[in-house]
Amino acid sequence: MAIHQKQKETAEARGDSKAPIKPRLPLSGIRVIDVATFIAAPYAAGILGEFGAEVLKVEHPFGGDPCRNFGTATKSGDTLAWLSEARNKKSVTVDLRTPDGAEIFKKLVSKSDILCENFRPGTLEKWGLGWEVLHELNPGLIMLRISGYGQTGPYRDRPGFARIAHAVGGLAYLAGMPRETPVTPGSTTLGDYLTGLYGAMGILMALRYKERTGRGQYIDAALYESIFRLSDEMAPAYAAYGTVRERTGPHNPIACPLGHFRTKDDKWVAFACTTDKLFEALAQAMERPELASDSLYGRHQKRLESRHDVNDVVSAWCGSLTRDEVEAKCYATGAPYAPLDNIADMFANRQFHARRNLVAVDDPALGETLIVPCSLPRLSETPGEINGLGPALGEHTDEVLEDLLGMSPSQIKRLHESRVI
Amino acid sequence: MSQKTQDSDVKESQPGAGDTQAGNSSTQASALPSDEPKGLPLDGIRVVDVGNFIAGPYAASILSEFGAEVYKVEYPIAGDPMRGLGTASRRADSTLFWLSEARNRKSVTINLRQPTGAKLFRKLVAKCDVVVESFRPGTMESWGVGWDTLSKDNPGLVMLRVTGYGQTGPFRDKRGFSHLAHAFGGLSYLCGFPGQTPTIPGPNPLADYMVSLYGAIGIMLALRYRDQTGRGQYIDIGTYEAVFRQLDELPTAYGLHGKIREREGAGTIVACPHGHFRTKDDKWVAIACTNNKMFARLAEDAMNRPELAAEGTFGLKNKRLAAHEEVDRIVGEWTASLTRDELMEKCLAAQVPIGPLNSIADIFADPHYQARDDLVTIDDPDVGEITVPGVFPKLSETPGRIEHLGPPLGNMTDKVLGELLGLTVAELAEFHKNRVI
Repeated sequence: MAIHQKQKETAEARGDSKAPIKPRLPLSGIRVIDVATFIAAPYAAGILGEFGAEVLKVEHPFGGDPCRNFGTATKSGDTLAWLSEARNKKSVTVDLRTPDGAEIFKKLVSKSDILCENFRPGTLEKWGLGWEVLHELNPGLIMLRISGYGQTGPYRDRPGFARIAHAVGGLAYLAGMPRETPVTPGSTTLGDYLTGLYGAMGILMALRYKERTGRGQYIDAALYESIFRLSDEMAPAYAAYGTVRERTGPHNPIACPLGHFRTKDDKWVAFACTTDKLFEALAQAMERPELASDSLYGRHQKRLESRHDVNDVVSAWCGSLTRDEVEAKCYATGAPYAPLDNIADMFANRQFHARRNLVAVDDPALGETLIVPCSLPRLSETPGEINGLGPALGEHTDEVLEDLLGMSPSQIKRLHESRVI
Repeated sequence: MSQKTQDSDVKESQPGAGDTQAGNSSTQASALPSDEPKGLPLDGIRVVDVGNFIAGPYAASILSEFGAEVYKVEYPIAGDPMRGLGTASRRADSTLFWLSEARNRKSVTINLRQPTGAKLFRKLVAKCDVVVESFRPGTMESWGVGWDTLSKDNPGLVMLRVTGYGQTGPFRDKRGFSHLAHAFGGLSYLCGFPGQTPTIPGPNPLADYMVSLYGAIGIMLALRYRDQTGRGQYIDIGTYEAVFRQLDELPTAYGLHGKIREREGAGTIVACPHGHFRTKDDKWVAIACTNNKMFARLAEDAMNRPELAAEGTFGLKNKRLAAHEEVDRIVGEWTASLTRDELMEKCLAAQVPIGPLNSIADIFADPHYQARDDLVTIDDPDVGEITVPGVFPKLSETPGRIEHLGPPLGNMTDKVLGELLGLTVAELAEFHKNRVI
């Protein structure tokens, strides 16, 4: 049901063996500090980790990243979201609120290429760890700063979560039935993932620039901006014509049929007939080729004018068949169809299997095998890797402080005792 | 809010008269400190975007914002069908959607369906670093311009291939649109009220943008690898995969416990109150209390109902989740007694996460959007002033640019083919006559 990816030796994954100089992955040799929480900036670091970067997850010694408590818990105490999304990371505990902790953090940053954070603006500055300080220590540093509203502007200090960003960025207003309560746009964490993607891209841009010029920079990403950027032509259409888009329920009014329909066995399917040809393919699947004639609904404009009639005909057809029957008929004629799959459907879907979208990873600490989503995107020469799931809190603290910062075991012991690490 | 670009005018309205190497005038020049920025991250990188619509091409847009030169290769007669998608503008071959999303491109018409055109395309790609395409799998191969051919011509080539279902697997040949990807990738099933009709998750081509973000990341990774090893590669991504990747613990929880997530309406089953609420002036706000402390601040400081946050009532998260309908009702009654502005003020004073459900009109009126230059107005001599989303994310030293809006069809064909490939005036005329370009 899913491919099995065994944990690999970290040394091998890092390309530490002596013979080849050629980097194994695009980010081999890059070190990232992820001092962020939940999903937004950590997902950016997660992508870098899949493609070869060493990611040190810096966490508060007591409790760690609250993502460890987000969602369904496991026997180890950490949640599934943590285990999946903190993949490939090393956990290093440092209390940034203590002067000794801040010093250790500075040393880690000065030995790294990239820093990811998503505290509220001003928080790192308050601890003496703002951009100015860190940039002076490490002029080539690239710092990803994600927050609800960005580092500037009148709302910068407001608390921000993805749900709030979906609202402020204009997405939540559009999801739901016309004039009724707007619904969650499918997931409450979309804004976090999207901003993580913008963040990862910004980091890779900045890394390229740094390698040419030696100059680091910071990236200022706001959750609401990632949402707003995906609003197709809403901004130019409002500016030009005052058009305000509203919720349109299960149908998109730009074409017909373009929406969701219920089948006889109480499942749901989607059609997207954006051209006359595609409607013709659907009419053939329905064994009603006359629907696509010029005198009936063959033309886009005609379908839009008669959208209720067209949707009624399609609804009646879907309601007379099971989803599997609709699917077989649509795939036979090339009609633009997809099932509204739930997670059980997706686990059973042949395309997910063939594409290895679900990866089974053993977790020795947990004694279980977890199914997690694969690395994306898929690169032909250097595909991303999942070498292990989210680490236990502080699992790598001693190792990193000793190997990277050259601290002695007695120093490390003292820091543990004083609860700095 | 309004930032105007000057230098694009001449280049765009007079094809062939300007300089192919675009200058670095930034329309996004925010006031972040920097002594001497040294160009943009992708200066010198040439991208051929032969994709249609948004899925794929948006990756090329991002690259262009950060310095790459992007040639939009289009079918000579009608061009990218995106030119006809959305609201019309003053220029016949460009909708507002096209003008915004085809930003920074140079349009070069080449008919890939003719062998001569395919040959020309190969020559162009041999001089470039990146190709972005979004045809159904096998299409470019059928024209003799597939990965094997192009990478033989140019071993360092990076090629982004975006399709509905990816280049492999039993569904590779099926039709993919963002609407279908939302369904196939699991998002549509989750959007709506429990047991009711699933609604579309915002009528935007969300998935097309999402998959392009992954594409842009893939290109940047592959470029870095190429610079170090000389080896190019292709990136294969299905639009549904981009959707599926963003659903937090959904696959993991099903894999371990067989848990199937259902539609959760305006809220979520993991926190309460965490949803959308109507206000007295018939607007909507989102409130997100993810822990007990936040709920206590909402009840005590904002609502002035401290008894709600007592342990015996709704002070503890599991109590609230068990009685979520009751909690949502109480909060909803309170929000319905106040205007949106009043609610925002009370909640923000109490440090309760709240945000308005903004329409596009609200967004244009919002001072924060203005302060961050999220909306950029470009003055184009052809189509007038057009307001578009700015460049994201914001980089402190190299903030990116919008040099000009989506170009007229074929505005740079002769110039690019002449200067880059050395075609003569006579050759160009012959190709035009035969509709190769």
